[in-house]
Amino acid sequence: MPEGILCNKKTVDEKSQLDALLADKSGKQYYEEMNHLEVDSDALWAAIQKTCKSRIRTWLEICAHCGMCADSCFYYLANHKDPKQVPSYKIQSTLGELIRRKGKVDNAFMQMCMDTAYSKCSCCTRCGLYCPFGIDMGIMFGYLRGLLFSQGFVPWEMKIGTGMHRIFRAQMDITTEDWVETCEWMAEEYEEDWPGLTIPIDVQDADIIYTVNAREPKHYPEDLAEAAILFHVAGENWTVPSEGWEETSLAMFAGDWAACKMQVESVYAAMDRLKPKRMVVTECGHAYRATVIEGPYWAGLPSGQTPIESIHYVEWVAEALRTGKLKIDPAKKIKEPVTYQDSCNYIRNGGLADVAREIMGYIAEDFREMTPCREHNFCCGGGGGLNGIGRYRPERNIGLKVKRDQILATGAKLVVAPCHNCWDAIRDLEEVYKVGIRWSFLKPLLLNMIIVPDHLKPTEE
Amino acid sequence: MFNKILFATTASPTCDNAAKVAFDLELKWNAKLFVFHVLGVPTRGYSPFVTDARTGEEETVDPDYIDWVKEEMKNTYADLLEDSDAELCSAVGAPHREILRMARKENVDLIVMGAHTREEDVGATRHRAVVGSTMQKVAKAARCPVVIISRPCTTCWKLFSNIVIGTDFSKASYSAFLFAYKLAKEVGANLHIFHALDINDGRSGPPAAQEEIEAKIKAAREKIESAYVSKIKDFDKYTIDIWEGIPYVEILKFARDKGSDLIVMSHHTREIDPEKALLGSTVEQVVLRSACPVASVNKPDKVKDAV
Repeated sequence: MPEGILCNKKTVDEKSQLDALLADKSGKQYYEEMNHLEVDSDALWAAIQKTCKSRIRTWLEICAHCGMCADSCFYYLANHKDPKQVPSYKIQSTLGELIRRKGKVDNAFMQMCMDTAYSKCSCCTRCGLYCPFGIDMGIMFGYLRGLLFSQGFVPWEMKIGTGMHRIFRAQMDITTEDWVETCEWMAEEYEEDWPGLTIPIDVQDADIIYTVNAREPKHYPEDLAEAAILFHVAGENWTVPSEGWEETSLAMFAGDWAACKMQVESVYAAMDRLKPKRMVVTECGHAYRATVIEGPYWAGLPSGQTPIESIHYVEWVAEALRTGKLKIDPAKKIKEPVTYQDSCNYIRNGGLADVAREIMGYIAEDFREMTPCREHNFCCGGGGGLNGIGRYRPERNIGLKVKRDQILATGAKLVVAPCHNCWDAIRDLEEVYKVGIRWSFLKPLLLNMIIVPDHLKPTEE
Repeated sequence: MFNKILFATTASPTCDNAAKVAFDLELKWNAKLFVFHVLGVPTRGYSPFVTDARTGEEETVDPDYIDWVKEEMKNTYADLLEDSDAELCSAVGAPHREILRMARKENVDLIVMGAHTREEDVGATRHRAVVGSTMQKVAKAARCPVVIISRPCTTCWKLFSNIVIGTDFSKASYSAFLFAYKLAKEVGANLHIFHALDINDGRSGPPAAQEEIEAKIKAAREKIESAYVSKIKDFDKYTIDIWEGIPYVEILKFARDKGSDLIVMSHHTREIDPEKALLGSTVEQVVLRSACPVASVNKPDKVKDAV
C-alpha cells in the first residue's frame, strides 16, 4: 500500500479529510499506514536539488565534528550526554545521509528522520550560537521537516494542524463568525467593569492592529479581553481584523511551506485592507517568528519585512510602560522572587532580550535571571510543536528537566512566560515533576498592577 | 419563569444534589433542560491533550473519548433521565468558559451547578481550586441567575415557602432582589429582605459604638424601603431585617432562623485573581456552608420584567 487513506503525501484541504484524521484515536491507523508509505525517491531528490541551497550544503560539508554543539543542546544534557543527541550527529545522520544517498532511502530511514526531527530537536537554534562555524542545526531540521512533510512522514497532530491552517486559516476550527462573535462576547462580558470597553473590529487606519493565537478565542477568550482592557487603559487606537487575525503557524512546525504562505498572506491581506500603522502580536513566540520574521520570505515580499511594522506584545508592553501609557502601582509590584522564560523565537531569534528585562524592571522587585539567560537561555522543552505530539510525549518530558532545574536554581516560584508554548511546557513540567512553581502570561499580571485612571473606573450607584 | 435551564455538572457524585434539583425544575416548569459536562481543560499552546475535568488525568480528545463520557453521563443520570427530555451535551474547554458560552448560545434562564466541595471529586488541591473558581467565575459573568447546590434539597421549588434575599445595596443586588421577588410571587413564598451590617468592615481600633450601629441599621432599613419595597406590587408576604455582624455568618443564621428554602445574593467582586476572590467573598462562604440552595444573580437581563 504505497499511500494510506490517512497517511499519505496529499495535503489536507477538505473538511472531510480533517474529520477523518481527527476521528483516528491518537493517530493509531495513521501511524500504521505510515509503516507502508512508499518513499518517492525521485521526487525527494528533485526537491532536494531544487531547494537545498548553498547555505545548508555548506553547513553540512564544513561541519568539523568538533562536538562544540553537544553541550548547547538541552536534549543532550537531559539524556545523560547520549552521543546520539549531539546536534551535528543528529543532522548528519538524517539530512546529511539523505543527501549523500541522493534521496534513495527507505521507509524506515524516513521514519527515523521524522523521529529525530521531532523528538530530538525543537528547532530552538541554540546550537547555532555555539558552533564555531555558526552552523545552525535547528534551521536544518526545519528544512528536513519540510522534506519529510512532502513525503507524508509527519506526526499525526502536525498533519491535522496544517489542515486547520489550510481550511480555516487558523490552527483551530474557528470561522470568521466564531471569531467576531467571541470579540463581541468578551467586550460584553467585561464592559460592566470597564465602562467604554470595546473590541473594535475592522477599523480602518488604526494605530495598532492586534493579532492572536487561535487558542485564545477558542478556549481562553479572557486573554483577548485582557488585551482589550490594557489597550483601553493605555488609550490606544486599535483594532482586530475580522479575517487574518491568526498569527500562529503549525504549518511551520510541520514543514508545510505552502500552508505557511497561505497563513501569513491572510494576515498581510488584513494589513493591506485596513491600513493600520503597526501590528502587535499576542504573547506567542512561534507566531512572531512565523508572521514577522519568516513570513515575508514565504510570501515572497522583496523587502523581507512585513507590510507594516510588526512588533511582539512584549515590545508594546515595554513601550507603554516607558512612555507612561501604562503605569504600575509601586505597591503592587511583584515582591516575591520571579524569573523570566526567554522564548527562543522572539528572544534568540528576534533579539528582544533587553525589552523583556525592561518590563521586568518595571513590574518586579526581585527579578532573577535563569542561568544561562537571554539569547543563551534553553528552550522550554515544548518548542517546535513538541508539546502537541503524543508520539513523542516521553522524550518531551525528559527534555523538560533542563528547564525545571534552571527555574529551581533561581529560587523563584513564579515564572513569567509570555509565549503559549513556553507557558504550556512550564505547566507540564509542574504536572510531571511537581516542583511547586507558578507561571503566568504578562497580561493578567499587568492587570493586577496597573494604575487605572479614575475616569475609566465603573461607577457604582 | 424558566424556559431553558442549563445544568452544569461534573457528572460525578459532587453534583448529585444539584442534579435532583435541575431535573425537578425541568419537570415542574416544563422547561428545556441541558445537562452539560465539560470534558477536559485544554492547554494554552497547540496540543491534543486535555486534563480530564474529573480525574485530573491527561487525556486525548477524540470521538471515542467523547462517546465514552456521554455514556458515563447517561449511566450516572439513568434514573433521573427516565422521566426527562433532557439533552446531554459536552464540550472541551475551561469549564467556566464553556458553561458561559453554552448559556449565551442557548440564552438560558437559569444555570444550576453543584458546589464542588466534596473530597472524592478531586485528586489535587490545584484541581479543587479549578472547580471552586469555576463556580465563582460563572456566577460573576453569567447573564442569568446561577443556582448553586451543595446539600440535599428536598423541597420542590414550586413548594418553596421562604426565600431570603441578602442585599449589600449594590447594583447587582438589585437584580438579585428582582429574581427573589419574582420567584416568591410566582410560587407564593415569603420574601425575607435581609441586610447584614458588616461590623468589621476593614476598620481597626475599638468596635463601633452602639449608637453608630443602630443609626446604620436605621439607614439600611430606609434604603430597603425606598429601593426595594417601593417596587413591590400586589404582594405582602415580605419581611425586612437587618442584623449586624460578619455578613456571611449573619446571612446563614438568618436563613436558618427563617427555615429558608433558597438564599438569593449577588456576587460582584472585581477581584481578578480567582484565588484571592475565593477567600474573600461572602457569597462563596455562604455557598459552602448553606443548608439550602444559593442563587447568585448579578445581571438584570433575566429579571428586569419582575417589576
